[in-house]
Amino acid sequence: MISFLARRLVTLLTTLLVAAIVIFGVTEILPGDPAAVMLGLTATPETVAALRTELGLDAPAFQRFFGWIIGFFTGDLGISYAYRVPVAGLIAERLQVTLPLALMASFLAATLGITLGALAASRANSLVDSALMASAQVGLAIPNFWFGILMVLLFSITLGWFPAGGFPGWETGFLNGFHALFLPACALALPQAAVLARLTRTAVLEALGEDFVRTARAKGLNAGQTLRRHVLRNAMVPVVTMLALQFSFLITGTIIIENVFALPGLGRLIFQSVGGHDLVTVKSLVMIYVGAVILVNALVDMAYGLIDPRLRFGRGVGR
Amino acid sequence: MITRALRHPSFVVGLAITLLVVLVAVIAAFWTPHDATAMRISARLRPPSATNWFGTDQFGRDVLSMLMMGARNALLVGVVAVGIGLSIGVALGMVAATREGSLLDEAIMRICDFTFAFPAVLTAILILTFLGPGLVNAIIAIGIFNIPVFARIARGAALQVMARDYIRAARAAGRTTFGILYRHVLPNITGILIVQASVQFALAILAEAGLSYLGIGTQPPNPSWGRMLNDSQTFLSQASYLAIFPGAAIALAVLGFNLLGDGLRDVLDPKSKER
Repeated sequence: MISFLARRLVTLLTTLLVAAIVIFGVTEILPGDPAAVMLGLTATPETVAALRTELGLDAPAFQRFFGWIIGFFTGDLGISYAYRVPVAGLIAERLQVTLPLALMASFLAATLGITLGALAASRANSLVDSALMASAQVGLAIPNFWFGILMVLLFSITLGWFPAGGFPGWETGFLNGFHALFLPACALALPQAAVLARLTRTAVLEALGEDFVRTARAKGLNAGQTLRRHVLRNAMVPVVTMLALQFSFLITGTIIIENVFALPGLGRLIFQSVGGHDLVTVKSLVMIYVGAVILVNALVDMAYGLIDPRLRFGRGVGR
Repeated sequence: MITRALRHPSFVVGLAITLLVVLVAVIAAFWTPHDATAMRISARLRPPSATNWFGTDQFGRDVLSMLMMGARNALLVGVVAVGIGLSIGVALGMVAATREGSLLDEAIMRICDFTFAFPAVLTAILILTFLGPGLVNAIIAIGIFNIPVFARIARGAALQVMARDYIRAARAAGRTTFGILYRHVLPNITGILIVQASVQFALAILAEAGLSYLGIGTQPPNPSWGRMLNDSQTFLSQASYLAIFPGAAIALAVLGFNLLGDGLRDVLDPKSKER
C-alpha cells in the first residue's frame, strides 16, 4: 500500500515538474519582451534594459525557473506586467469567482446528471428513457457559451430574473454573489450533466443485471429501495471517476463562460493576460490550471488503488 | 452491414444531419443568397424576412449567407484537424504497438498522457498567441490535440489485432512489420478509428466555435459561427435572432456527427452497445 502511494506520488511530482519545465520553456520562447511591452513604444533602450534588470529578466533561465517554482511555495509569483500588482494576489482575488463557479457547476452537473441517468435506467427502453437520452444527446451538442447566451436572453433580458453578466463581489453579500454565478454555472454544467446522465444510465443498467440485485429483491426490497441502497452505490464508482476527470473540461469551460458573462475570474484573467503578453501572469496561471488537472487525475488514480487492491499492481485506471 | 446501419435510428438521423451540413457547405462554395461579406449599413439589423430569411447583422450582412459560409469553415476545421490527428496519431500508435513495452512505446504513451493534462482550449489559446490568430492556426492547434487521442486508440486496437493467429501466420510467411501493419492491422482497426473520428470531428467544430467566439479563431471578414455568436451579444436585446441561428447551426452539426459516431459504434461493434 505504502509503496503504491509512494510510486504514484513520485509519478505525480515528476509530471508536475515536467509540466512546469514545458510551461516555463514555452513562455520563454513566446514573442515580446515584457519590459518593452510594459514601457510602450516610446521607451529608450536604456530604460528597457533598466526595467529588465529590475524585473530580474536578465538572470539566467534556470535561476528564474527555480525562483518561479519556489514562488509557488512562498506566495511570490512576481509582479503582473499588465496590472502592476503581485500575481499571487491577483490569482487569489480571481479564484474567489472561478472556484465557487466550478464547484456550483460540478454540483449542478452531478445532481442533474445522476438523477436523470438513474431515472432513465429505471425506466429503460420506455418513452421517458428515450426522451431523456435524446435530451442528453442534444445537451452534448449545445456549445455551453451558446447556452449561456440563450439563458441571458431568457432570464436576464426577457424576464429580468438574473444579471446578464458581471460579478458584484462576495462583500455585497452571499446571495448577490450566488445570484450572479447561477446562470454561468448552469451553462458550464449542461454538457457535463449530459455526459454524466448517459454514463449513469449505462452504469445503473449494468448494476441492475448483477446477482446482488436479485438477492435484494428476493429479500423483499422493492424496486426503489434496491435502486437507492444497492444499485446506485455500485454504479457510482465510474460516475464519480468521470466527474473528477471532467474537471479538465470544466476549468477550460470557465475560460469561455467567464468571457460570456464578463466575470472577473481566472479564465478571463488568463485570456486577457495572454492577449496582453503578460507572460509572468500567464505562466503561473497555466501552471495552476495544468497542475490542478494533473493533481485531480492522480488523486482519482490513488483513490482507485485504495478501493481496489488489484489496481495497485496493475497499470492504473483507464489504461 | 449497410442494412443494419440503415435500421439504426442514431445512424440514420446522424447521417441525414451530416449530409445536410455537407450539402450546405458544398452549395456555399458556389452560391449563397447574398454576398456573405457585403456590408449594407442601410439594411442593418433587419429581422428575418422574405429577402433575408435569417435577417441581417449589425453591418447589414445576410445571416443565412454567413451561416452557409460558416458551414464550409466548420467542415474544413473538422476534416483537417481530424486528418492531422488520424495521420500522425495512428502512425505513432501502431509503431508503439509493434514495440510494446519498449522505451519507444513508453515514451510515446507518456507524452500522450502528458498532453491530456493540458486543457485543450487553454493550450490552443497559447498556441494561437504564438502562431497568431486565424483559421489555419486554429486548425493546427485543434489538430495537435487529436494526435494523442488517435495514438492511444490505435495502439490499443492494434495490440488486440496483433495477438490474433493470422498475424502470427503472416509473420511466419515472411511479411515485414510494415506490411503486416498496412495489410492486416490497419484494415482491422479502421472501424474503431472511424467511430472516434466522428466524435473528434464534432469536438473540433465545438473547439473552433469556442476559439472564434473568443476572437482568436477564424478572422473577419471570413464568417464563422463562433464569431457570429460573439457579435450577437452586443445586440441581444434588439436582434435576438442573431444569437439563435449560429448557435443552432453549431449544435446541429455537432449533434449530427455525435449521432453518426454513436450509430457507427453500434453497427461496427454491436458488443459495445450501451457504452
